[in-house]
Amino acid sequence: MTATQPKEKYPNASLIKSAEIAEVIREQKPQTAAKISTRNLSFFYGEHQALFDNNLDIATNRATAIIGPSGCGKSTHIRVYNRIFELYGDQRATGEVLLDGQNILTQAIDLLELRRRVGMIFQKPTPFPMSIFDNIAFGLKLHYKLNKSETADRVEDALRKAAIWEEVKDFLHKPGTALSGGQQQRLCIARAIVVEPEVLLMDEPCSAIDPIATNKIEELIHELKSHYTIAIVTHNMQQAARVSDYTAFFFEGRIIEFGNTKQIFTNPAVKQTEEYITGRFG
Amino acid sequence: MIPRPATGRRIVNLLVSVAASLAALSGIFILLWITLMLAYKGLPALNLGFFLNMPTPPMVPGGGLANAILGTLLLTVLATFMAVPIGLLSGICLGEFGQQSRLADFCRFTANVLTGMPSIIVGIFVYGLLVLTIGNFSGLAGAVALAIIMLPVVARTTEDMLRLVPDPLREAALAMGAPRWRVTLSIVFRAARTGIMTGILLGVARVSGETAPLLFTALNSPYMISSLFHPMPNLTVTIYNYAMSPYADWQQLAWGASLLITAAVLALNLLARFVFGEKKP
Repeated sequence: MTATQPKEKYPNASLIKSAEIAEVIREQKPQTAAKISTRNLSFFYGEHQALFDNNLDIATNRATAIIGPSGCGKSTHIRVYNRIFELYGDQRATGEVLLDGQNILTQAIDLLELRRRVGMIFQKPTPFPMSIFDNIAFGLKLHYKLNKSETADRVEDALRKAAIWEEVKDFLHKPGTALSGGQQQRLCIARAIVVEPEVLLMDEPCSAIDPIATNKIEELIHELKSHYTIAIVTHNMQQAARVSDYTAFFFEGRIIEFGNTKQIFTNPAVKQTEEYITGRFG
Repeated sequence: MIPRPATGRRIVNLLVSVAASLAALSGIFILLWITLMLAYKGLPALNLGFFLNMPTPPMVPGGGLANAILGTLLLTVLATFMAVPIGLLSGICLGEFGQQSRLADFCRFTANVLTGMPSIIVGIFVYGLLVLTIGNFSGLAGAVALAIIMLPVVARTTEDMLRLVPDPLREAALAMGAPRWRVTLSIVFRAARTGIMTGILLGVARVSGETAPLLFTALNSPYMISSLFHPMPNLTVTIYNYAMSPYADWQQLAWGASLLITAAVLALNLLARFVFGEKKP
């Protein structure tokens, strides 16, 4: 490309049909009711502050993408939603995270019940060292008292919802680790939804799997978001554009911009967002 | 720039490769030498009578080591039952819960020192602790001495194996809403079980060949095992006694016992390697 050639202002805008661009509405809050609202959320790794006064609303039964360059606090942010960071003694969060209006950062919260309501999918598939069936039944047994046939029904139902039933129905006794990476990730999604959560947190769920498997997971997210509130951290801009309704752009621990996904990707309000999306940094 | 000629590096590479290979071969050679020598001298002793008969006085034919074989088995099993629960729990404390705490650091240091402790010191310690207080040598004291030697091996292996389990797996289990103890027991432990089993087997292999701690505790006995509170016949001290004796038939039995114990330790190691060590945790 020569310097004289006029530079396209938004190279990624082609992702979205031009007719839709007109529909972009500027807004800083989702139009649907918020399932999770963070208020002045700050996060510390020991002395190091990683998040600064984050205020973000995650819309009910929508997918919210969290994007931003490496180390900007995306994962840190959603790891507060189920308080999984508490596994490590030197990490702490201040501020409020409201789940249906209730602050989950107080000690009064039942942590086990919180984690049933807020499921999580990790970057690398994490099948438990047990059979496919037991991988799914693990969470059921933790939270529900069911007899054998009810358990089997729920397991099948979850595997169907995660679009993996047809592939594993004849090998339910095989170890979960024997599956391919993409299948393992869908197994993990089935495992997360079997306990009937309300929110699904996805921390770069496709970064460790191949494009075809990624495609399947994205389709799955599309289906799941009508029943679950989804917050998905991703490095992949196209993925954010494809699967999410809302997008938050993080930079250096701060939320720089939040809005309708189409708006963020076609007409970002902040220069940093535009530069990141167009690949000029990050 | 003209690249430096590679000749010098090639020569160094060759020299180091040869030196490393020679070092490895010398180790293997010694192991082979011992094993072949044991097989050559010991195999003739390993007949049915060796396993079924009781020891006889020197020069009386038909003697076997039935009591010592049983005794060593019993001592090892007892020691395992004492050391494994404590070792596993210590390992969990070190690997899962303590990690960076001062107590854990102290325990880890202690375990490391204990691992390197000369086994005869452990024998003398248990002699003072149990033999003197009970009033006589006993199988129980022998088992305790072996357990003390085994304990740090089990604890450290358990810790190492638990640490090999990646944190995301713990997070995933916690994120399902499982309490911490459940995560450790159902997920982390299961992921690490092959490694932990290997560690236990290696610990068993290690103590089953110990002699020094038994000299001061279980002692030895030419009779059948009667109780845990009396001297307990065992293979290693028998080897020590018989090999030093001037009687050819006793020496022959000592060769047989040496071969048996070496073969058993080898078998345990192979078992640890092939049955449990197939997959990395």
